[in-house]
Amino acid sequence: MGIVFHLAWRNLWRNRRRTWLTAGAIAFSTILLVLWVPIQFGAYEIMINASLAVFPGHAQIQRPGYQEKPKIRNAIDNAETLAKKLRASNQFVGVATRAQGFALLSSGTRSYGAQVVGVEPVFESGTSSIPGLVKKGRYLSGIDAQEMVIGAALARNLKIKIGDEVTLIGGGKDGSVAAAILPVVGIFESGSNELDRFFSEIPLHTFQNIFSMGHSAHAIAIVGKTVEEQDSLLTALRQETKDRNDIVILGWEQLVPGLKEGIQVDKVSGFIFYGILIAVVVFSILNTFLMSVLERTREFGLMLALGSRPKRIAMLMMLESTLLTLMGLIIGMTIGSALVYWVHIVGFAYPGMEDLAQQYNMPGLSRLYPQLDLFNFLIGPGSIFIATNIVAWIPVLRIRKLEPVEAMRTI
Amino acid sequence: MFPRITRTTMLTALTVFNLASIAPAQALDAAAIIKAAMDQWRGTSSHSTMSMTIHRPDWERTMVMEGWTAGDKKSLVRVLEPKKDAGNGTLLIGDNMWTFSPKVNRVIKIPSSMMNQSWMGSDFSNKDIARSADIIDQYHHSLLETQTADGHKVYVIQSVPKEDAPVVWGKEVLRIRDDYVLLEHTFFDQDMKPVKRMKTSKVGMMGGRMVALQERMAKIETKDEYTEFKMLSAKFDISVPGSTFTLSNLRNPRF
Amino acid sequence: MMKRTLPLLATLGWRNLWRHPKRTFVILFAITLGVWFMVISAGMMVGIIEQQVRDTIFNLTGHAQIHNPEYRDDPAIEHSMPPPTPAMLEILNSPKVKQWSSRVRLPAVVMSERESRGVTLVGIDPKHEQGLSLIGEPVVEGRALESIDDDGIVIGRRMAEKLETRVGKRIVVMSQNKNKEVADRGFRIVGLYRAELESTETAYVFTGRKTAQKLLGLNDDLSEIALITYSRDGLEPLVASLRQAAPTLETKSWKELEPLMVSALKVYDNFMIIWYLIIFGAMAFGLTNTMLMAIFERTREIGLFQALGMRPRYIVGQVLMETFILLLIGVALGNLTGWFTSDVIFADGIDLTEFARGMESFQMSSIMRFQLEARDLITINLMVIVLGLLASLYPALKAARYVPVEAITRT
Repeated sequence: MGIVFHLAWRNLWRNRRRTWLTAGAIAFSTILLVLWVPIQFGAYEIMINASLAVFPGHAQIQRPGYQEKPKIRNAIDNAETLAKKLRASNQFVGVATRAQGFALLSSGTRSYGAQVVGVEPVFESGTSSIPGLVKKGRYLSGIDAQEMVIGAALARNLKIKIGDEVTLIGGGKDGSVAAAILPVVGIFESGSNELDRFFSEIPLHTFQNIFSMGHSAHAIAIVGKTVEEQDSLLTALRQETKDRNDIVILGWEQLVPGLKEGIQVDKVSGFIFYGILIAVVVFSILNTFLMSVLERTREFGLMLALGSRPKRIAMLMMLESTLLTLMGLIIGMTIGSALVYWVHIVGFAYPGMEDLAQQYNMPGLSRLYPQLDLFNFLIGPGSIFIATNIVAWIPVLRIRKLEPVEAMRTI
Repeated sequence: MFPRITRTTMLTALTVFNLASIAPAQALDAAAIIKAAMDQWRGTSSHSTMSMTIHRPDWERTMVMEGWTAGDKKSLVRVLEPKKDAGNGTLLIGDNMWTFSPKVNRVIKIPSSMMNQSWMGSDFSNKDIARSADIIDQYHHSLLETQTADGHKVYVIQSVPKEDAPVVWGKEVLRIRDDYVLLEHTFFDQDMKPVKRMKTSKVGMMGGRMVALQERMAKIETKDEYTEFKMLSAKFDISVPGSTFTLSNLRNPRF
Repeated sequence: MMKRTLPLLATLGWRNLWRHPKRTFVILFAITLGVWFMVISAGMMVGIIEQQVRDTIFNLTGHAQIHNPEYRDDPAIEHSMPPPTPAMLEILNSPKVKQWSSRVRLPAVVMSERESRGVTLVGIDPKHEQGLSLIGEPVVEGRALESIDDDGIVIGRRMAEKLETRVGKRIVVMSQNKNKEVADRGFRIVGLYRAELESTETAYVFTGRKTAQKLLGLNDDLSEIALITYSRDGLEPLVASLRQAAPTLETKSWKELEPLMVSALKVYDNFMIIWYLIIFGAMAFGLTNTMLMAIFERTREIGLFQALGMRPRYIVGQVLMETFILLLIGVALGNLTGWFTSDVIFADGIDLTEFARGMESFQMSSIMRFQLEARDLITINLMVIVLGLLASLYPALKAARYVPVEAITRT
């Protein structure tokens, strides 16, 4: 075996140019595959993030049943204390308490029903992009400030501008009439028609006063490091809240039904594209291999004539191709992962994406950050390795049928 | 206002009349029973106080309200208790509904998009409250049977909404006593399964009329979630000035 | 001189190819495969995009719409518009417009015995919606609306589920009439329509236009006029003429109505170019490699040519010509197989339902259809030929630089 290995290695370097070309082809293909998957999967993360970042967050703590029927009375007691505890654990990137209700907003002549959300102004920006999407005026200033921010379309429909007052009438938690007049200090534009037309935010304590909520609230929105670490996020949340049995923890799949399935569908077409890429790459390498075998017909003939057994030649060939593939793969993966890492640091500005990001008002959308994942990283190179080894059988089968004299005559 | 809480309660209010002109015994035709009650109702005014209790398995809240009505088009309700909500009011003129809250000192017209929202946290929607009496014409009424209970004749009337009536129910079944006290009103879905029921639990004299003193609205499936009304005081056929039912009176009570 | 040498080079190239049919087939296979991949991936991508654009246009948008200028911001009854004037009718009935329809389209609340939901009530002229919007399609259950005074209602399949109702039952629709008073009536559900997105199915309920106008006290007033032409591009002159005919109204093309879709299209276009480059990159490596080997193998032969007096320029020319012929055949075969795959084998599209479980109710179409556009085919073919020639330039130049004697003596 040692001799065969030695021979194979020497053979590779007998024709340097061919070896480098083939190894180069494998390396290049590996780089393509190594780069493509993380960027594509990075795009899914962006899609998920884009829809979660606006408001839902990665997970929420709610009372059981609130998600299905958001009734104002179904509220978490001492929600802020719980949020504080979660924040103190330092395990989460963003934690924000919210109280939510439906109310009639009126500017005098015009009235519309709208969602009113009481938020902790300081922490809300950690879980929602709305604070950053205020296009006119400013965001809420303090947790008990008497003020309001509303969606752009709602503002237009109410025919109000910054500084104008809005009357809010709804039902409080204790069944009392919740009413207040608040000046609008900011108008946000999220790009989402629904939010811009039916959404308003006020400071949490102001909400709790108006709606007689006491210290209760309806949801604690949580954002972890990445969407991918959902499992560990939920585990950590469960650990942190195990002394509270009056709450449920909902992941984003439950908060935004349809999002996961939408991405799954997209992944299927993504995999089809990826499959195509792998196929092209594999065939391109196959071609190179095949060519090199054709080229070496004479050599094989010579070896056969000199008494080498076909089996031995076959083994030599297999070994050569394995060595060659490994060489290409190592070079490709080294360069590929360096590139992935580089893109991971600086991001990848997808042409045309900036426009889309601007429309959505989601700065995070304009740059792709590839997702680092061992499986995704290995799937491309793995396919190449398997494919080349299968391809290497073709010359092996050929050799068996080769007539030494005839083979030597071919150019 | 009490009778206008819902069409149901309105019918309940019909009981306040001793419909002397129409002897119940003669009014065997269902439509005639209801029509006669309506005719009486159209010329009447009232001033009453009542309590409304909203009950949930883990929670309960009672409000006391004062109301004025004039005919079947106008009514005004104002909350007396609890203190927190005192002064909140609702004005109804025809199908239009305005709300007033002293906290914000504003009168706001309820837009149609909010009509399916709950009224004052009760089991009635704004639309239930704002139901016009004309709705009666949008049903086919028929007398199912005549029963006897507590020495009274009880008419069981089935009302099936007409094709384009703004009513979601498949049918409604009413049990009306011969003195026009509504004892029971059941709402059926379009598969003719009962969904919710308004039931009178106490009948008595008040303001010189026989009225339902206590009635409760509950879903058939969740009987421990209900809204209950109790009549505390009532006067009828009094003179209520036209200016009672104005936006300015809703805002600055003079009555 | 080139004029005379070109046919000569072509003949030489052609003969060369068939001197080694095995090698030629291998290369041809690679090119065909690459082109085939590019063609079907373009077809797939365009298919996905087209479906989305079509869905958008079909989702009551049309190619252009006419409104009261206030309507789009605040679709309220007071922002209605009068029926089209003779000047507008002249344009709308001109052959440029394929189909047009006037609609009443206002917010409303629908109620069943158990649920109530906010929706948009759309009063339509059923005959004119055919080919213009989704409601012109056959319903999935019950019957479609038949005339402008049809007083039945057609709701979305999933809306019926949400309302816990079905065909044959009655629901109540409540809205606001011209005098800002509640306008409501019962409607019998005569049919259920289907749309790709759940959000579409739960957004609209349809009835006859006259019925809606009567309910809302609109007389002959409308909310919008939508139209469709024979091409979704080049709408500007038509839109301009409508603006001129109706200066007090707002006429907008779908591109102005759906800016997000337009920027998404741009992103897709860029993605396709990147995709072609990647596929081609993978393919080019194989191609260059194969050509290189083919040339190295023929070193002796090329040396002989040179010794016989062939100038390096012609050697380059000959190699390029050989590649060119190969590319032409490969491209032709690739297009043919691509067309065969997308328009014959998968003429009915690929059903992705099996891949993504439960996706019927979600964001994307479950059937992926291919669509080949001449523009994409031309891009692919030009790219492959130009880049293919560039890729073979290196081996060609390499060959031209051989020193004859050295070349001949090489094995």
